[in-house]
Amino acid sequence: MGTGALNRRSAMIATAGLLLSCSGFARAHEIVPERGLRFGLTPVFLTSDLELLGRLQAYLQRTMGVPVSLITRRTYQEITALLVSRQLDAAWICGYPFVAHRRDLQLVAVPLWRGKPLYQSYLIVDRDRPAEGLMDLRGDIHAFSDPDSNSGFLVTRAALAEHGLRPDTFFGRTFYTYGHRNVIRAVASGLAASGSVDGYVYDVVAELEPSLTVSTRILHASEPLGFPPIAAPRVPVDAGRLTALTDALLRMGEDPEGRAALRMLRLDGFAAEDVSLFDGIAAKAALVAASG
Amino acid sequence: MRLDPRTWPIAAKVPLAVAVLMMLVGIVLSERVLARLNETQEMHVRDLAQSYLDILSTGITESVLREDTWEVFDAITRAQDLSKGLRATEAIVTNAKGHVIAASNPRQHPVGSLVEVPNGGSPGMQPFRFEAGADVANATRVLAYPGRVVGVIHAAFDTSHLAVERREVLTALIVTNGILTLILAAAGWLLVTRMMAPIRVLSRHLGAAMEGYATPVPEATIARSGDEFRHLFGSYNALVKSMHEREDLARKLFDEQRLGSLGRLASALAHEINNPLGGLFNAMATLKTHGQYAAVRNNALGLLERGLVGIRDVVRTTLAMHRQETSGRSISAKDIADLRLLIVAEARRKSVTVAIRNSVDQDIPLPSTQIRQALLNLLLNAVAAAPPGSEVKLEAARHGDVLVLVVTDRGDGIPATGIDVLTGEDSSPPLRTGGGLGLWTTRRIVDELHGRIEVSQPSQGGTVIRIAVPIEKPIEELPHVA
Repeated sequence: MGTGALNRRSAMIATAGLLLSCSGFARAHEIVPERGLRFGLTPVFLTSDLELLGRLQAYLQRTMGVPVSLITRRTYQEITALLVSRQLDAAWICGYPFVAHRRDLQLVAVPLWRGKPLYQSYLIVDRDRPAEGLMDLRGDIHAFSDPDSNSGFLVTRAALAEHGLRPDTFFGRTFYTYGHRNVIRAVASGLAASGSVDGYVYDVVAELEPSLTVSTRILHASEPLGFPPIAAPRVPVDAGRLTALTDALLRMGEDPEGRAALRMLRLDGFAAEDVSLFDGIAAKAALVAASG
Repeated sequence: MRLDPRTWPIAAKVPLAVAVLMMLVGIVLSERVLARLNETQEMHVRDLAQSYLDILSTGITESVLREDTWEVFDAITRAQDLSKGLRATEAIVTNAKGHVIAASNPRQHPVGSLVEVPNGGSPGMQPFRFEAGADVANATRVLAYPGRVVGVIHAAFDTSHLAVERREVLTALIVTNGILTLILAAAGWLLVTRMMAPIRVLSRHLGAAMEGYATPVPEATIARSGDEFRHLFGSYNALVKSMHEREDLARKLFDEQRLGSLGRLASALAHEINNPLGGLFNAMATLKTHGQYAAVRNNALGLLERGLVGIRDVVRTTLAMHRQETSGRSISAKDIADLRLLIVAEARRKSVTVAIRNSVDQDIPLPSTQIRQALLNLLLNAVAAAPPGSEVKLEAARHGDVLVLVVTDRGDGIPATGIDVLTGEDSSPPLRTGGGLGLWTTRRIVDELHGRIEVSQPSQGGTVIRIAVPIEKPIEELPHVA
């Protein structure tokens, strides 16, 4: 993903975006021996983004006092499978798989963005395109982020289902970019006429890499939905380690190293939230499931 | 400058030839250099294009098989970033049917649109098109997996920098060759001008020699010249010197001839005077002895008078002949008649009669001394050649503005060398040919008077020499003519 000349800033954005929006297509990246805490990450960690990984790992190890392994896999599905089968102590996943595997998982913490544990899904199109809503995009080449992504797939899929439509018949052609930043690139370059993208990633990219988003515009923003959470198996692999992890995440904003990592992610901190935060996503998943 | 190149000066022809040759060399060299440059550029672009296509095709074959639009697009973007030096301007990846999976410029080639599959597109075939000087090169790669065509990569590369390089090389070649041509042409001109300088000196001297008096090449000029021209100048100067010597000799000979003929005349004169002297002495003796007799005295005195008159006539003619006259004196009938007196003694000695038929009845404005000299020479030769008892004729007549003098004898005929000397065929000095000095002098006189000499030898024998001299009318006579 990304370009060879990608700088640390954009690498961070990609990291953040993928971390929080359940997109996959990662390269395996294991930093410490497989002892102690195993923490799963779905995003694409670029080789140049070792600084963020290093900070996160160092913070967790120091605060928890145990070795921490950061586990990445190519797709979100792989991480979800590892998590559900209890091969991971915890993982940063998306709201969609969280509600999909609700019975097997428990909520650890939810990131706070702009003070709230919420984000939106954006429908983006070319800046000069005169479309007014989703219904004007019929026949488009449409870019999705990931089939397991809430903001990059489920939201648009559910919106079509409300009209009794399916993406493969409504759009002329669809493809997955396996990254929200890639959705922005696809729309900006003209490869896709429209795309479904994580609103948090889009806004951060617009802030740090305006040249990428300048040729696109937000056609439609969804209602606020639960931010991609940190989840753990319902039966913890090691209850003590999970408690220590929860504590470390919730106190991240109080530690300088934790604040540095949060700053890089453009997040305010982590909060303990009720599972009902994800009811909106669950409703969309149910609608889609019902529409077949 | 005239159009015919043969008439151009060598100082222009050589630099021009140098320039033309240099231009030819320049064109051939430039062509070779550009051809080589084209080959190098094409090879360079081809290699880069292959490596670009290698990079791209390695990464995307499976994605093409899956028709994974984003993966292919991302690979294209990555390959273009990795191959910046190649300046890939466009890459289009299609499936086996030619439908676009992804292109570097999706707006121009949207996903799913149809792109022409190159002719004979088959696995392993790698068409490459590059035209020297063009701004774009195209390459195509057929993707096979495994052994089956799964897609095609069309790539275009910006080669405008190569076109610029080619133009720069061409400009540099033209400028360099142009400057070299100019320098060599100028050098050629300088060299030829320097080399031709002695030739010009010689040409100037020869021109002067043609128009008048030949002068030798100055020693200083000779010293400045190279060996070859020093030799040439030496030869020329020797020629000029010999010419001057010849002219001096000819002048001397002319004078000596005059003196020579004078000697012969003096001898004849002495003879003329000596002949009556005996009679005169006899008459004087008769007077001394028988002077008292009136009849004898009168008879003796008559003899004396006739004898003295004869001597006086001879002396007078000789004086008139050799008096230093101005050339302005006209020739008269008497001048021609007097020739008989000058030739008669020689004629009598050879028993030849001299007949003079003179139809000139008034003065003719031609120098009498020179004409009489010429005629005397011819008459003396005619008398010498004529057999005893024959007749030598002199005819003088005026035909309009030409004085015609004809000397005829019945001798054995004048030798060919004599004819050449008279008619000017042989212009060498008299001593070299050994011919008669008299003939040569006559020719010289007639030449000076702008006349013409014709020699004919009638079938009955003898020689006829005809002199025609144009009569220049004195200025004071012009009104009468008008």
